[in-house]
Amino acid sequence: MATIKVNGKDQQYELPLTLIELIKKNNVAQPEMVSVQLNGEFLLSEKFGTTQLKDGDEIEFLYFMGGGSRC
Amino acid sequence: MLKPGGFSTRIIHTPFAKEDVNRALHQPIYSNAAFDFESAEQMEQAFQGRLPVHAYSRISNPTVENLELRIKQITGALHVTALSSGMAAISNVIFLLASSGSNIIASRHLFGNTYVFFDSTIREFGIETRFCDLTNAEEVQANMDVRTVALFVETITNPQLEVVDLQFLSELSHKNGVPLVADSTLTPPNVFQAMSHGVDIEVISSTKCISGGATSVGGLIVDYGTFDWSKSAKLAPLAKKFGPFAFNYKLRREIFRNLGACLSPFAAYLQSLGLETLQLRFEKAATNCLELAEFLEKIPQITAVNYPGKEGSEFYEVSKRQFGNFPGAMLTFDFASREACFAFLNKLQLIKRATNVYDNKTLIIHPASTIYCDMDRETRASLHVGESSLRLSAGIEEVDDLKNDILQAL
Repeated sequence: MATIKVNGKDQQYELPLTLIELIKKNNVAQPEMVSVQLNGEFLLSEKFGTTQLKDGDEIEFLYFMGGGSRC
Repeated sequence: MLKPGGFSTRIIHTPFAKEDVNRALHQPIYSNAAFDFESAEQMEQAFQGRLPVHAYSRISNPTVENLELRIKQITGALHVTALSSGMAAISNVIFLLASSGSNIIASRHLFGNTYVFFDSTIREFGIETRFCDLTNAEEVQANMDVRTVALFVETITNPQLEVVDLQFLSELSHKNGVPLVADSTLTPPNVFQAMSHGVDIEVISSTKCISGGATSVGGLIVDYGTFDWSKSAKLAPLAKKFGPFAFNYKLRREIFRNLGACLSPFAAYLQSLGLETLQLRFEKAATNCLELAEFLEKIPQITAVNYPGKEGSEFYEVSKRQFGNFPGAMLTFDFASREACFAFLNKLQLIKRATNVYDNKTLIIHPASTIYCDMDRETRASLHVGESSLRLSAGIEEVDDLKNDILQAL
């Protein structure tokens, strides 16, 4: 099991796990609008499906309200 | 699901950010200032940006967001911000990019208020503007230095109707580590795709044709996410963390919310509605404009006609390349004297004497005695604002009615 911190809270997951799978498992609201920070850096949405997560990763799901919104 | 490809289809079928509870076909007008939260925890998460909810309409609003999403849909932008006017869009961008001691390269041909903003307003904050002939690459290059933070251009200058080669300027600008900022108000997104011509940040006065024909005042900042912000001294620290989103982050989290020039939800509704018919109206207005240009040229009392879409214009080729068959719906023409201009204006019956452009009505103005009246004659001459020139913005009326009005006023 891997520990991944999601929006400040530790969560346990089986690896391998992609970012897009994490988004689904967390029932992230309006997934088409969410921006994702992985260990402090923003990821392009095109990379969500291919980014493999690892033990100790820190994820922030963020929204820029208005404007089309997704990083 | 079928993916719409056409310009108008994409606008009309842009999904709402959230499904409307009543399944309304137009985004309702949320004219409220603030939004309620279910709990203190939800409120905290919203303020941290961890929930997709609105908190306060100066910062974001569902009706305004719908307009922004529609513009994003047709431009392919990374992010769009709607503001209270076109000048608000320009001032937000400049205050974001520039600091005391920095400089901006701008065309010597600019809309009157924009010129004064650059020449006076920001100068008082220690920001210098270097006005250049943007058709002269050597002059532009010679004026750029390490403190240059933006190259600012109008896609068609108003009222000189000069058209610069944007791809060339973009390459020059990027070579110097400077973003290209373009005011494309006179060439709306149905005829000009800013990103494909190397524009990094686009500003638009949506008051004009986007609003449905001057129904309300508004502005847009369109961020294409194309510039490497690590090259900007001011944004480099944010670029480390946010990469291509650095501009957007600074805008939405600081400049836009603190300057407070937000678009009203009612204006956003009108502009969103106007956007649906933009293509139909603009193509009609531009077609009228070309026909009027050819008509005016045959009138003996008129000494010159300027329209970039007219064969023979020095900007015909570059206009065609950048704007296709509809290079704006505005022209200028000259009489022998200022007195002749005034006499003509006073006899018009259909065409309105007004300062705006891209209304559904055809509008006309004598720029030297109005928009540029605060400047002396020499300054006007240096800006190529003619004393015997009239500026006409073509509307969508039947063109024969416009011709008849012109003929009876001669």
